[in-house]
Amino acid sequence: MLMQRILNAALGIVIALLIGAVIMLAQGYNPLASYMALFEFSLGSPYALATTFKNAVPLVLTGLSAAIAFASGPINLGQPGQLLMGALAATVGGLYLDLPPVLLIPTLALLAMLGGALWAGLAALLRQAFGMSEFIVTLMLNIVADYFTLWAITYPFKDATAYSPMTPAIARNAWLPEFGDWNSAVLWMLAAVVLMWFVFKRTRPGYEWRIGGQNSLFARLGGCPVDRNFVTVMLLTGALAGLAGGLLIMGGPHRFLRGLGANYAWDGVMIAIVANNSLPGALFYGLFFSAIQTGALGMELITNVPSEIALVLQGVLVLVIVASREALHQLADRLAARRRAQTSIGRSELT
Amino acid sequence: MATRPSPLTPALIDMRGVVKVYPPNVLALDDVTVSFADGEIHALVGENGAGKSTLMKVLYGLIHHDRGEIIYQGRSVRFRSPGEAIAAGIGMVHQEIVLVNEYTVWENIVLGAEPVDWLGRIDRKRARQSVQAIIDRFHFALDPDAQVADISVAARQKVEILKLLYRDVSVLILDEPTAVLTPQEIPQLFAELRELRNEGHTIIFISHRLEEVLELSDRVTVLRKGRVVATQSAAGTTRAELAALMVGREVLFTSRRTPQPPGDVIFAIDGLRYEDAHGRVRLKDVSLRVRAGELVGIAGVEGNGQLELVNAITGLLRPTAGTIRVGGEEITHAPILVRRRAIAYVPQDRGRMGGSLPASVTENAIMTHHRLNRDLTRWRGLLLDGGAAQRFTDQLAATFNVVMPGRSAPLRALSGGNQQKVILGRELLLDSPFILLDQPTRGLDVGSIEYVHDQMLAMRRAGRALLLISANLEEIFLLADRIVVLHRGAVVADVPVEEATVELVGRYMLEGNEER
Repeated sequence: MLMQRILNAALGIVIALLIGAVIMLAQGYNPLASYMALFEFSLGSPYALATTFKNAVPLVLTGLSAAIAFASGPINLGQPGQLLMGALAATVGGLYLDLPPVLLIPTLALLAMLGGALWAGLAALLRQAFGMSEFIVTLMLNIVADYFTLWAITYPFKDATAYSPMTPAIARNAWLPEFGDWNSAVLWMLAAVVLMWFVFKRTRPGYEWRIGGQNSLFARLGGCPVDRNFVTVMLLTGALAGLAGGLLIMGGPHRFLRGLGANYAWDGVMIAIVANNSLPGALFYGLFFSAIQTGALGMELITNVPSEIALVLQGVLVLVIVASREALHQLADRLAARRRAQTSIGRSELT
Repeated sequence: MATRPSPLTPALIDMRGVVKVYPPNVLALDDVTVSFADGEIHALVGENGAGKSTLMKVLYGLIHHDRGEIIYQGRSVRFRSPGEAIAAGIGMVHQEIVLVNEYTVWENIVLGAEPVDWLGRIDRKRARQSVQAIIDRFHFALDPDAQVADISVAARQKVEILKLLYRDVSVLILDEPTAVLTPQEIPQLFAELRELRNEGHTIIFISHRLEEVLELSDRVTVLRKGRVVATQSAAGTTRAELAALMVGREVLFTSRRTPQPPGDVIFAIDGLRYEDAHGRVRLKDVSLRVRAGELVGIAGVEGNGQLELVNAITGLLRPTAGTIRVGGEEITHAPILVRRRAIAYVPQDRGRMGGSLPASVTENAIMTHHRLNRDLTRWRGLLLDGGAAQRFTDQLAATFNVVMPGRSAPLRALSGGNQQKVILGRELLLDSPFILLDQPTRGLDVGSIEYVHDQMLAMRRAGRALLLISANLEEIFLLADRIVVLHRGAVVADVPVEEATVELVGRYMLEGNEER
């Protein structure tokens, strides 16, 4: 099972790279040189590796959020909005609070999680009270969050000295410490993955979420509080997306800039899909997507290939892996069946 | 043991050395050789998973065999689709009936093969006439103009058979045709099938109800674990002999229920009423009692309130009026977890309600226990104790003879019988005073059915109160102390099993208690 998943990933990556190479050839670029550059600027040096890990933080956390939600049942597609609300909450806290770093950083992380959880909780509330589908509500709340945060950084929290919408920098004590090339946001990300994996696999609520995601009626008849679990999962996955936003502020530009959320959260949803909602899978594909995106920026510097090729590679990768997952499964089954038919005729035991 | 077909009756269909492996590794047919003579009724019997349906689906072109040969009318054939099989004269009626409810009987029959006039329009008059002609020829009791939504399940099944006859099929394969019929409807189906045979059709009849097989068929082929263990003429064979061939050992058909005085009332329903969203009354003032050490069987044609009754007890629906009490405590509107402290529940649908097929055996085994049994959790119920869960699963597997590849294997990797043992074991280990069983043996093979019955009787001896809902009257008569008949949502009979007969209960099931 694990071997098949690794094979699937390896096969998908190789095929995606081949298709990418064909596209680059068609455009008149040298694919080999491009891929060398891509590798060099993503994994080829300690600095590149550290950058790839740092850039992976919002991808992995939103991927984790989507994977946990999808595997537990709720269709939370609100990671983009929850990330922005989390980022805003952390920024506002960082503008008005002044504490020593050991207190301020966890406080802002908590605020970010609360911001994301609040936004997801709104969708959960509307579902519990009026039966509105969280699928639609979380999608719509993304747009609300988009413009609400834009308003917030354009008017009440705007940096008076800036020419475009952005907040002033947050307190220096809230900046995430760096160890050489490594930003400590990476530690938060790894801790979140390990903790979530433990909660999901080893605790009673995690068990109920997983079973409920597979078969909600069975969980309900077995005595699991499925409605309460739904709300908890929404809050938790909102908090994870919010944390992604908070770490983005504290680890990077240290202020809320327009366009901060970029495409991270949608990539996170894609990562969950490619990972088939597995949590270690979300970590792996989050890092991989980050490597492509980070390397593509460097590749653009030394070759003529535009960095948008990263988007092409990502898209191809998602399609190839998702498509080959089922195909590989069936192929393996059919080969096993053929072997069995050839070898065991008339030899089955009658007991 | 297997006898070759007599040289006097030429084989119409010869299946030789057929092998079918379901990917990846399920050997469904293991070198099956069987032949069907022209103009006979040939029964295929065997436990679930013996390969009966698979063999027929191979013949019908629905699935494709990996090895072997099929000779039909002297030629080697391999149908790529059911369409090719029908064109060659072989048709199959499945257990699930698929008809257009909004169409009339004759419209359903001609659908897909409509006679057209020279402008390409459907020739309704000619179509209706040819349907009527077939109905008359084979003496089917059926109105061609009735709308399918309004006719009974038995009539729908006839429509499926007529669809094939309309397409001039000479070999009819019927997959468990009596499973959906009431006892009263079966003789008519059999009369019609005999009529078809006398008109020269060949009928292959899949069943695991042995008395029906013996009554209807000319020859019987017994399959076990994908292999033919015997083909013999029905005359001169007994039910016990067939059962022994099917299972590979002797099977008891007599009730092992011993008389025992019932104890206190454990489970009580009073005036239970339920109206659905459209205001239709689904449960009409149902009252019933189950005592300790008593097994009450609920009989009824499906769709007469059984589903609503079960859902009201488990808490999936809110009754409009009335009360439900277990052990003196009212649970009519209690949360499901509160109910589950006193109610063990074996649902009818293993994959939908009884378990989660992709989850491991362990994860399926600990459901409900994970909230009621403190040994399975630590830290005030926050952490699951993985070791304790594994020990619990091992104990369940040992107590209930579960055969499984391992406790971390997904539930779907187990056979139907073993899946049901996991579910049954989980529920019985809850030690609840009241046990609700909804079709607990549906789709199981003879050996597993016997096992489930034994466990139910053991629970009865242990003083539990059991409520059994079953579509199988034989099962109810075998196990129950009292029989309650539901008809259109109301209790129309509540009789001790000693005073009941199959005919009496069957009449209550069909007609209620209006005029007897």
